Amino acid sequence: MRRFFSIPIMCFAAWLLAGCNVARITLNEPLTSRDVGFIVRGETTLSQVVDQLGAPDQLHGTGTGLVAMYHFLDLKYSRVNFGYLLKPWSPVTPDLVMSGSGVGTDALEIVFDSRWTVRDYAFTHHVTGSRFNPWPF
Amino acid sequence: MRVRVVLCLVVGLLSAGCAFSRGTLGDELKAEEIASIVKGTTTRAEVIARLGAPDRIVPANDYDIFHYYRYDAKAGSLLLIVLNFSRLTVKSDDLFVLLNRDGVVEDVIFSGRTQGMPFRFWPFSD
Repeated sequence: MRRFFSIPIMCFAAWLLAGCNVARITLNEPLTSRDVGFIVRGETTLSQVVDQLGAPDQLHGTGTGLVAMYHFLDLKYSRVNFGYLLKPWSPVTPDLVMSGSGVGTDALEIVFDSRWTVRDYAFTHHVTGSRFNPWPF
Repeated sequence: MRVRVVLCLVVGLLSAGCAFSRGTLGDELKAEEIASIVKGTTTRAEVIARLGAPDRIVPANDYDIFHYYRYDAKAGSLLLIVLNFSRLTVKSDDLFVLLNRDGVVEDVIFSGRTQGMPFRFWPFSD
C-alpha cells in the first residue's frame, strides 16, 4: 500500500521540482562577532588585526588615522517554473515562473587612530536579506 | 557486475549536466615578489619596479598605502534537467604596502584568500 502511494508522490514531487533552480553567490568568508572578539579598543593594533582576520579589502585614510573594511556578500536565488506541470499535456512549454532572491551584504569596519591602534569597530548588519524563497508575494 | 553498470549509469547521468567556470581579475600576487619587499629598506620606486603600479593609492596620516588586488571566481553547476544547483564563490587577494613620508616601506599586509579555493556546487552549505 505504501509503495502504491510512494510512486505517485515521487512523480508529483518530480513535477513540482521541474524547472527548479537554486543558486548562491558568496564573496569572501562571512565574519561574525565571535571572529572579532579579540579586538580591544585602544589596545589592538593593525598588525594584530591582520594576523587574525587577514588583510582588509579596503583601506581608507582619515584625517587622524585609517579605516579598514572587510566586505562579504551572500546572494541566494531560487526559481520555480510551474509551467512544467503542464508540459506532458501541452504542445508548447508554458511558463509560470516564480523566483526570489536576497542579497545579504555586510562589512566589518575598523577605525584605527594615528598609532594604528583600534579606536572603534562595527558591522553594518545586512546579512538577513539572504534567503532561499521563490515566493515573490 | 550489475552493480557496476548501475553505478556507471548513475555517475554518467549525474555528471552529464556539470559545468565549471572560472574568472579572474588582475595578476597573481607572487609570494617571492612580496617577500622581496623589506620593511625599512625597500623604497617606493623599488616596490613599483617589482610589483608594477598599484591598483589604488590611499593617502592616510602622512602615509601612502599602495593597494594591489586580484579576484578569483569559481562556479560549479549541477544541471539535473529538472533541478539545477549552482554556486559561485568569489574571493580576493589583497596586498597593502605602507610607505612613510620618506618613501620607504614601513609595513606589508597581505592576505591570499584565493589559495585552495574549491569549486562548489551545493548552495545550502556554508
